Amino acid sequence: MTKLEAKNLQVSFGNVAVITGLNLSIPEGSITALMGPSGSGKSTLLRVFNRLIELYPEAHVGGYVYLDGQDIFEIDVIELRRRVQMIFQIPNPIPNLSIFENVALGLKLNRLAKNRKELYQRVKTALEKAQLWDEVKDRLNAPAGKLSGGQQQRLCVARSLAFEPEVLLADEPTANLDPENTAKIEALLLDLKKEMTIVLVTHFPQQAARISDYVAFLYKGQIVERGPTKDIFTKPRHELTEKYVTGRLY
Amino acid sequence: MTSTRKVLNWIGMGLFVLLGVAATIPLFLIIIDIYSKGIDAINRLGGLWHFLTSEPPSPLSKSGGVGPPLIGTLYMTALGAIGGFALGFPLGVYIGEMRREKLANAARVGVNVLVEFPTITIGLFVYAVMGLVQDDLNRYILGPVSATLKAALGNSVFYNYVSWFVGPLDSFNAYAGAAALALVMIPYVALITASAYASVAQPLREAAYGIGGREFNALFIVMRKVVSRAVLTAALIGTAKIAGETAPLLFTAFGNNYYAPFTGSTGAVSLWIYAASETPYNVQIMSAYGAAAVLLTIILILFISARIKAIHD
Ligand SMILES: Nc1ncnc2c1ncn2[C@@H]1O[C@H](COP(=O)(O)OP(=O)(O)OP(=O)(O)O)[C@@H](O)[C@H]1O
Ligand SMILES: [Mg+2]
Repeated sequence: MTKLEAKNLQVSFGNVAVITGLNLSIPEGSITALMGPSGSGKSTLLRVFNRLIELYPEAHVGGYVYLDGQDIFEIDVIELRRRVQMIFQIPNPIPNLSIFENVALGLKLNRLAKNRKELYQRVKTALEKAQLWDEVKDRLNAPAGKLSGGQQQRLCVARSLAFEPEVLLADEPTANLDPENTAKIEALLLDLKKEMTIVLVTHFPQQAARISDYVAFLYKGQIVERGPTKDIFTKPRHELTEKYVTGRLY
Repeated sequence: MTSTRKVLNWIGMGLFVLLGVAATIPLFLIIIDIYSKGIDAINRLGGLWHFLTSEPPSPLSKSGGVGPPLIGTLYMTALGAIGGFALGFPLGVYIGEMRREKLANAARVGVNVLVEFPTITIGLFVYAVMGLVQDDLNRYILGPVSATLKAALGNSVFYNYVSWFVGPLDSFNAYAGAAALALVMIPYVALITASAYASVAQPLREAAYGIGGREFNALFIVMRKVVSRAVLTAALIGTAKIAGETAPLLFTAFGNNYYAPFTGSTGAVSLWIYAASETPYNVQIMSAYGAAAVLLTIILILFISARIKAIHD
């Protein structure tokens, strides 16, 4: 089953074309790793998927993206962002809000919990799923800015999971983390793909090899090659892909 | 480092320290002067409680205070601050976040001009507007409203209280004063809010939109929490600023030495200081010093709570 599909997608900032007729389908319940050199448009593509691109007034988007076959630009943007959540390279919890509030705020604003008990339960479940609960359960009221980088990133995962999203977009979520926290996030993503579709942008071929089911290789705003992870690493069809996975293209 | 450079370095540093001290000395001198004269005056005019509650001294009396002007200052400052914040904050969000919209740019220019306006012109403007709308306002809205209230409440004590706040307006009244103070505060709050929002890092802005749902929530709830400290400081310091304003009140509240309804001329501590310092009577000049100490206390409390809040976070 295809969860997300881009058809002839084009994005430009002002008159600089960044994504130029991109086609990609992302299978449900899997991890698709999005790789490609810096500036190839990976982050831009993720921002189209949840329409955060609309925060950039100079960005123009053409073509189509379908979520479960439905044009995402026809879906109410609030519903879309609830269903398609995103975590970023630099963890971005609201630093002066408490750990609890960081997860609870989105639920409150979107009226996703009927009462305080349900709110607490959903926050707790999200923190548990993000493997953070045990570390923070005694200081839920401490400001999120006091957490370590790795914990902050897991808090952002929890904040996303609280929405019970169908798709999780992860933009280099481990780029700023040490190996131990990286391993935690990777284990977490592997666990989460049972419940949702994950698109993972990564610069580390090893990371893609460890946890992804599919790899899509992006170059200058187009998908050069896409296939099962094993195939991409063992028999890449495209020269650029081979260069990249062997570390000869940045 | 050669020894000449060392010496020059020392001289440079010394000059900076001296400048810093020179800048703060007048501030402390003013504060000490006002409190020493003010506290002495309050004691001689009948003590603190008497001073805070009784009417200003007439030229030949021996005691008195700033009761009516103090009530006026508190009432008009509170209303002005609420109004100034209620309008200035969303205006600032608009200017700070919609930077690419033409109208937002025009608003930014307007606000930058308004913040530099002599505040007396703001008072004159409100006076002029008041002159235009007063008759219709009283005839079609406030007159009927107060008649209805009177019919509903009868001649009870309660109606007496209400009529101090609601009723047909004179051309000088507390609401005109509060409106002028709000106009002074709007651009101030708007500019601080705008720069606070504009300085929010893009990742946090994206987080706000990612979890906020509708744009209103992202901007006014999630991002407000991100910048809450700056916005609170803006509100407190803006309030402190208008609490001490005199010029915008001259043509709007006008001043009053007696306890009187807010629908007519209303006193303010700053106006009393201004009026009393012009008189030849020693007792009134003394009361002006006491009034200055009271006003300074209000302003210092607002400033210090802004600082404490900032340090606490
Ligand atoms: N707001 C913007 N305005 C103008 N150009 C932009 C903007 N955001 C991105 N770009 C340009 O779009 C291109 C793609 O950027 P993008 O961030 O999507 O790349 P990326 O593949 O995520 O790179 P990296 O691996 O370094 O994160 C780059 O050339 C970048 O300069
Ligand atoms: Mg990127």
